[in-house]
Amino acid sequence: MLNYIWIGLILIGLFVAVGNDITDEIRNPYRNGQPFEATLIVKKAPSGIRATWEGDIVATPEAFNAYYGASRTAEQISQPVSISTGADGAASLSMMITDASPAWWREMAKSGSSKDRLIGRVVLLVPAADQQTARVQVVFESIRFVKLRAVTQAALDYAGLAVNIALGLIGIMALWLGVMKVAEEAGLLQVLTRVLTPVTKRLFPEIPPDHPAVGAMIMNIAANMLGLSNAATPLGLKAMEELNKLNPKVGTATNAMVTFLAINTGGLIILPATAIAVRAAAGSANPGIIIGTSIVGAGCATIAGVTASKLLQRLPRYKKAMEA
Amino acid sequence: MGEFLKSFIEVISLIAIPLMFLVFLGWGLMKKVKVYEVFVEGAKDGFNVAIRIIPYLVAMLAAIGMFRASGAMELLISIISPVTSLIGMPPETLPMALMRPLSGSGSLGIMTELMKVHGPDSLIGIMASTMYGSSETTFYVIAVYFGTVSIKNTRHAVPTGIIADVAGMLAAVWIVNLLFH
Repeated sequence: MLNYIWIGLILIGLFVAVGNDITDEIRNPYRNGQPFEATLIVKKAPSGIRATWEGDIVATPEAFNAYYGASRTAEQISQPVSISTGADGAASLSMMITDASPAWWREMAKSGSSKDRLIGRVVLLVPAADQQTARVQVVFESIRFVKLRAVTQAALDYAGLAVNIALGLIGIMALWLGVMKVAEEAGLLQVLTRVLTPVTKRLFPEIPPDHPAVGAMIMNIAANMLGLSNAATPLGLKAMEELNKLNPKVGTATNAMVTFLAINTGGLIILPATAIAVRAAAGSANPGIIIGTSIVGAGCATIAGVTASKLLQRLPRYKKAMEA
Repeated sequence: MGEFLKSFIEVISLIAIPLMFLVFLGWGLMKKVKVYEVFVEGAKDGFNVAIRIIPYLVAMLAAIGMFRASGAMELLISIISPVTSLIGMPPETLPMALMRPLSGSGSLGIMTELMKVHGPDSLIGIMASTMYGSSETTFYVIAVYFGTVSIKNTRHAVPTGIIADVAGMLAAVWIVNLLFH
């Protein structure tokens, strides 16, 4: 099933991206080829030495929204630009894009020829009598295949992110695996395991109740419930390694593994610390109000997950996968 | 009572890790385990485990990244929001429900955004934060946990995870509507 979901995510991603880009070709939301009219507040006029205008391009939000045919901004547009005239007399405009730029232009610059600039062709430049301002019309570079570019970029970015996440785990994994090894040698995990045997025996009937895997799973679930995700992942991975020692068919998930994963993905947590922190930061009168509702939600998810794992493992197709 | 419970749990989360170090290593010392040597012996595996999950994580995250960047989420939302509205799920929270199993940072971003726009104590704000707390990043967990032991045939893990996610989201909608509507 993971095969289909995985290829599904990629194919849907590609098809929707192409579909969106074709729609953009028809609707032209970036106004490719159409002149944008604005006022240039001149800071440096061309002199004998240099043929460059420098200044700020300004426009009202109404004009901006009318040009793009949608509500794109609510603020006055004011962007530093330079306009230079080439040898052939054609003038080109280069606009710095910063965090203060309108979101739509930032979006366009991402797919443009230069990441931090928006380039355009000046079709009209009429200085006012006092040389302080000028009327300009500019056709920005054509923006095409925005989504397809974004999908390509995302594939590369996320591949890098995956490596960063894994490398970030090395230190913390080593720390917890070391501590766990000491607890194992000292016989502490066995003590913990014995106490919870009545529960674990039902959840994982295939696992001998005194197996080290049980201790690691208990530690992982406890860490998860306390919201100690830094500790939970290494402990969970240790549990998976222990479970794999009992795996009769290498490379295939056992029933116990799936049940263990169901408990993990249910995400039962006593204190949803991240959600509470975000609520407090957003100025909530009572950030902790979601503790109870989250426990109900995660509790239902966990029960449903464990039940589903127990029922689905009996289906012939999943049974057959386990046979050697 | 709620406040007390919250500060109690906060104290527990604070002391849990130092306490674990103390008890585990202290117990080892009492049982005459050579703590330093055994610790190092165990810690050796850390590197291998982290390296082993890389291909699984790259495969999973790249696919999720492509899906997210394409704008497919918006399309999916416009298709299924009429159905989810029937069960009392505000359409604004649908992206949250769909993103939660795929991406932890993505769903965190959506939750923050929803609170900024609608307020943390609005029905939407409470529902989004409950949804966030009601599930885990299922596909990340599957990739990382199975990656550690090089499992390629995940058998019923994916349907199980999806069933758990759907149940968690439905329960979140139900309980929040019941208590805060």
